[in-house]
Amino acid sequence: MQLLAISPDSNERSQALAERLRARYRFLTDRDLTVTRRYGLVHARGGNKGQDVPRPTTVVIDRQGIVRWLSLADNIQVRPEPGDVSRAVRGL
Amino acid sequence: MTRYWPALLSVALSLGAVAGYVSLLRVPVIRNHPALYLTAFALATAIAALASWRAARWPNLAALVFSAALLVLGGYFHFVLARIPTTAPALRVGEPAPDFTLPDAAGAPVTLASFRDRTPVVLVFYRGYW
Repeated sequence: MQLLAISPDSNERSQALAERLRARYRFLTDRDLTVTRRYGLVHARGGNKGQDVPRPTTVVIDRQGIVRWLSLADNIQVRPEPGDVSRAVRGL
Repeated sequence: MTRYWPALLSVALSLGAVAGYVSLLRVPVIRNHPALYLTAFALATAIAALASWRAARWPNLAALVFSAALLVLGGYFHFVLARIPTTAPALRVGEPAPDFTLPDAAGAPVTLASFRDRTPVVLVFYRGYW
């Protein structure tokens, strides 16, 4: 399983986070939200300076490239339960 | 001082809820149930209101103002500021995920389709630090 974490953060910022978490994530930079926008996951003016930011979202994709599970936040404080994500990945 | 224990309890409950939520933000059960801090603020407000009703002295009234202010601010944050307007995502369960190529932390391009037939992928879109 490959974890890809996508945000508008710069490469340097993502690298620092990756080292701090020592996670199996690969941090990808979507600087101008092109991919986030293509996925329909922009939270318009949701940033602390009124800028557009990604809507917190987790997508599980199988080996054929098909979306198998989706979690879309409707509150910036809430994230999916880790157990739900691993259950969705298991068996793919 | 001991006669003001309900006022102290109210303030401690409010402050404890703030400290608990902030310090346990990485614990999913805390993070995903922000209504817990609103419940604590409401309880603190009720305790201080009851104390003020029984004895309208400044420590009780101060605790009431403090906890009620946190309840209003917390409610405004939770129900208004933290809401994400629902827009239709371009993703459907059972349909292909649109392909993309983005640079990783080292600047190397990563293409979603390169994982095809190799391994499942979990995409996590996060807000970042801006």
